[in-house]
Amino acid sequence: MSSIVTGRALLVFAALAALPAVPGVPTYYLLLAFDALLFGAIAMSLDLLMGYTGLVSFGHAAFYGLGAYATAILMERGVLSLWACLGFSVLVVGAYALVVSYFATARRGIYFALLTLIFAEVVYTFFRYTQTFGGSDGIQGLPDAELWRGVPIDTPQRKYYLVLAYLAVAYAACRVLVTSHFGRVLVAIRENEDRARFLGYRVRRYKMGVCLISALLTGLAGAIYPMRSAFATPDLMLWTESGEFIISVMIGGLGTLAGPIVGGVFFTILRDKVSSYVDWYFIVIGVVLIAIVLFMPKGLLGFRRLLGFRQWRATG
Amino acid sequence: MDYLVAVLLPQLLHGLVFGAALGLLALGLTVIFGLLGVMNFAHGELYMLGAYAGIAVIGWTHSFWVALVAAPLIVGVLGALTEVATLRPIYRREPLYGLILTFGLALVFREGVRQIFGGDMRRILPPFTGSTPLLGMTYPNYRLFLLAASSALLLAIWLFFTRTRAGIIVRAAVQDAEMLDGLGVDVRRVFTLTFAGSAALAALAGLLLAPVFTVYPQMGVEMILLAFIVVILGGMGSLGGSVVAAVVIGLAQSLFSLWMNPQRVAIAIFGIMIVVLILRPRGFFGREGVLE
Amino acid sequence: MARDGVVLDVAAVSKSFGALAALAAVSLAVREGEVFSVIGPNGAGKSTLFNVVCGLYAPTAGRVRFRGREIAGLPPEAINRLGVAKTFQITNVFPEISVGENVRVAAQSRSADSGRLPSLWRRPDVDMRVDELLGAFGLAGRRDELAENLSHGEQRYLEICLALATEPSLLLLDEPTAGMTPGETKDATQLIRRVTRARGLTLLLIEHDMSVVMGISDRIAVLHFGEKIAEGPPEAIRNDPKVIEAYLGPPEDEGPRARE
Repeated sequence: MSSIVTGRALLVFAALAALPAVPGVPTYYLLLAFDALLFGAIAMSLDLLMGYTGLVSFGHAAFYGLGAYATAILMERGVLSLWACLGFSVLVVGAYALVVSYFATARRGIYFALLTLIFAEVVYTFFRYTQTFGGSDGIQGLPDAELWRGVPIDTPQRKYYLVLAYLAVAYAACRVLVTSHFGRVLVAIRENEDRARFLGYRVRRYKMGVCLISALLTGLAGAIYPMRSAFATPDLMLWTESGEFIISVMIGGLGTLAGPIVGGVFFTILRDKVSSYVDWYFIVIGVVLIAIVLFMPKGLLGFRRLLGFRQWRATG
Repeated sequence: MDYLVAVLLPQLLHGLVFGAALGLLALGLTVIFGLLGVMNFAHGELYMLGAYAGIAVIGWTHSFWVALVAAPLIVGVLGALTEVATLRPIYRREPLYGLILTFGLALVFREGVRQIFGGDMRRILPPFTGSTPLLGMTYPNYRLFLLAASSALLLAIWLFFTRTRAGIIVRAAVQDAEMLDGLGVDVRRVFTLTFAGSAALAALAGLLLAPVFTVYPQMGVEMILLAFIVVILGGMGSLGGSVVAAVVIGLAQSLFSLWMNPQRVAIAIFGIMIVVLILRPRGFFGREGVLE
Repeated sequence: MARDGVVLDVAAVSKSFGALAALAAVSLAVREGEVFSVIGPNGAGKSTLFNVVCGLYAPTAGRVRFRGREIAGLPPEAINRLGVAKTFQITNVFPEISVGENVRVAAQSRSADSGRLPSLWRRPDVDMRVDELLGAFGLAGRRDELAENLSHGEQRYLEICLALATEPSLLLLDEPTAGMTPGETKDATQLIRRVTRARGLTLLLIEHDMSVVMGISDRIAVLHFGEKIAEGPPEAIRNDPKVIEAYLGPPEDEGPRARE
């Protein structure tokens, strides 16, 4: 299965792994890199839904935020193990995703977008106004997580490697998925859902399946976030956050997996620079979205498709 | 009995009016989706723009009634321009792109308004005050006016869709957009006019309701979420279904507000939606055979 | 499980859409291995009949049995899994993936992994079947081409490949030669007959082109305004006065001539 890990990918990951070793890299940039890679991972998991299956989720931030709260709730109570947090997030996000995907996949794709949005709004409202979870302030002041007893993930370097490891695993998993039988069916569903049904596929199951997988990947990313930020707040679940995920996917290029990672990184850095002009920020986002759809629907990496990234399209 | 009359009845009337406004929004969404194939995420913003355009016009002319005519016109024109510039190029593309583009539009409108008018809550004063005794309670005159106005609006729309040639064409085209080609009408003009018309209606609703609620940049967000719930419940095959579902949700919203705080109301409405979807996965008026 | 060799038993099937009665108590029985055509003027209900059989609609009344098993009201994917495959009148393939991918995804639906957990990481080996199907329809050279770039005739063939890839025993072809030139139609007809004979398929066919119908069918049923007005071998149908009237009779009837 050499197609899982291309030489190109290995090179990139090696370079990324070497980043903290470069002398003179300030903490700020390492943490920015953390955010960028995390965003990239989330955008990639959203691409499974958007690029490969053709379903737009406007509520992906809910999966992200729930994962963060899962970690925060455990760490608040003194459970610092990375693995416990990840496991608990899987449970919480998985349960929520099952319910959402059940309702969201019952009808045409447009209802998927609407229902994911509505569900996410409800989750946001719930956390924002429930004091048990800190209300609008969320859960603050969290300690560092532990890899295992006695090995805290406390330095920026360790946190960076945490997210890099996560991205590597998630990327490999996604590559396996999109080249598998399951992945090819997703593409067929995107291209012509009705036809897929007439070929014997229980389309709804596939949609629920990919929604669940995408949600879990995003939830795990969310679970890692408080280990860097030391908090979990309801704002992580705003629909504007979902919009930012979507932008990242679009910038990078639908249906390429690697594209959205680049898009997520690009967007995070862009946001970091632009958000000093906080007021204008959302207008910029809106204009960027409009411009991408009108002028650059294939995203940044879309152009590189011409150079041979064709894996997800013509050939298997 | 006093409670019934003094509290419940007015709330029911509020609910009807609110439901009518929701119905206007949901109708607009349904028609735009049926015709252009685009789910207009920015529709709530058009509603909000109506209120703000009203504020601007009232600022210049000091007349609510002038604003009532001017604001929908302004927003209608804005809608037409937006449609030509941004939506026309993407008619034939996958629906996914329309969603994302209108989402971007919503952001631009919302933040644009916030930049121009500031994020504070504003008020529009009702054009007349006072109340009238009605059915044993006293009901504010402006709200009576709203009841009359919304009924008249819905009636006018119903007449448009059933009695005018244009309306019948639009209604049929919502079911099957391709038939427009065969009729020899200028399809692009129909689309632009339809979008502009929906925008104007949404703006009208926004301005009419403004004296009752506060005006702030986020006001469209809540409406659009409720409008989406209406569309989910009413299905998009039936225009009448949208209005019915809207009135139901409007009434529910109003009644629940008597007993719960706003967040709980939102969750309760959501709960209604879930229950209906469990019992009738296609919504109230889903159609069989269409692989929805 | 076919009783008396009857593969498909349509028993008094009616289908109404609101006030419109598209089908009224239509009955027919298709036997193993035969080519059975359904013809009739536009609006006769032929496509509705197909849609009822393959699961898009549930009949308002009547029963549909496939090899003795009740299938009316089942969803399309379930019916396909039982061995019924359909092609579409308007080409309905997967446009932005290659021809080979198109057929592969269709063939994969029959692999053992399909619908199970291992399908998340395994790629079933269906290449041989894909090659065989593409070869049978002369599409082997177009394998890497995007489906939407194919010529009309090639797309019609791809339609059939997709259906065949699901290994049906009953194949429903909805106007397979629609939009083809007379030369293409002749080739297509022969090809279809050869392929279905070779695989022992039963064929249920909707067609407007009389030369195709007369040349290929074992039996024909004629629908008119949702009712079956005649059934029998081609010779009988050709001379049946009711059929002739249905096509050439009342002025508002268009019949197959309008297609020219």
